[in-house]
Amino acid sequence: MKLKIATIVGLAVAFSGVAVAQTDVIAQRKAILKQVGEATKPIAAMMKGEAPFDQAVVQKSLGLIADDAKKLPALFPADSKTGGDTAALPKIWEDKAKFEDLFAKLAAAATAAQGTIKDQASLKANMGSVFGACKSCHDDFRAKKS
Amino acid sequence: MKEASVVAWDGPTRVFKWALVFVVVDGWISNKYGGGFPAWHKLNGYTALVLIVFRILWGFVGGSTARFGSFVAMPGKVMAYLADKKKFLGHNPLGGWMVVALLALVLAMATTGLFSGDEDRLIIDGPLAKTVSDATVESAALWHRRIFTAIELFVLVHIAANVIYALTSREPLIRAMITGRKPAEDYADMPAAEPGPWGRALACLAVAAFIVLAPIYIVGGRLL
Repeated sequence: MKLKIATIVGLAVAFSGVAVAQTDVIAQRKAILKQVGEATKPIAAMMKGEAPFDQAVVQKSLGLIADDAKKLPALFPADSKTGGDTAALPKIWEDKAKFEDLFAKLAAAATAAQGTIKDQASLKANMGSVFGACKSCHDDFRAKKS
Repeated sequence: MKEASVVAWDGPTRVFKWALVFVVVDGWISNKYGGGFPAWHKLNGYTALVLIVFRILWGFVGGSTARFGSFVAMPGKVMAYLADKKKFLGHNPLGGWMVVALLALVLAMATTGLFSGDEDRLIIDGPLAKTVSDATVESAALWHRRIFTAIELFVLVHIAANVIYALTSREPLIRAMITGRKPAEDYADMPAAEPGPWGRALACLAVAAFIVLAPIYIVGGRLL
């Protein structure tokens, strides 16, 4: 009887451990993606002319985006398809190569933009590839809220 | 060997028609591949709105076959057309409703776009998105997507109908929309179209651009 309870407890711990690990990775990637969004905000404001161009902010944001884009592919393991209020679509795991390629593109675009952006004009001219990478991934792999 | 032909569509109506095809296709392309260039998609939307308003004006003062009075038919007329299949120089009573539907859909598409924004409100938002609540922006974006699906369906039916007419009833509908002329025949609506003058069309276009862009700029404070 004691053994049974121990087994059940053991199993329960093991399962909840797995569950925790899954929600963990989901929470992690959500936090990182949130960070990418926050990093994009000031740049988007500069693009629209709502904020003055600020080279330091642009450089820091793009660096962050490039780093995050490299971390993200590992945060979508096969056991994290659901739960944790994820907006990840099953398509991610059906087309993993394309999904990961988009992160590679995002990282490359952010790094390239970091090198070329110097003022408002070059900001406008060079953010397209970064934003484009964001959007093409969201279009195909993120569930719509409504 | 040239067959006798008559004017069916005036120049402005034809230019409008193919320009509308262009903006619908370009709207799709600029969304799919221009994610990083929001100005592209927005300019496309303004062009669509100006074109539709132009076409509405042209529907009252344009060439005879372009006028709504000549092709927007009562249901009874549509039923009669389905029964007797008479040939029309302009839009037939059934096709006329397809024209109305396509114009209305593109108008709704572009109008919802004015209030739409991407989910994160970062990269693209319509010029009027800031004037409404977040919930309104979300529902506008939802309808912007739904209406596009409807446009896809209607365009498919529209193209299929024209191809079938061209093949089976020997009515060169697609060619007529390019050349503006149709074979002289005993048409049910009118024997030949009276074209609308280019000058009037340009005036309509200018008025349409003003009607569309001025309020957006005044209310939204910006266009791009």
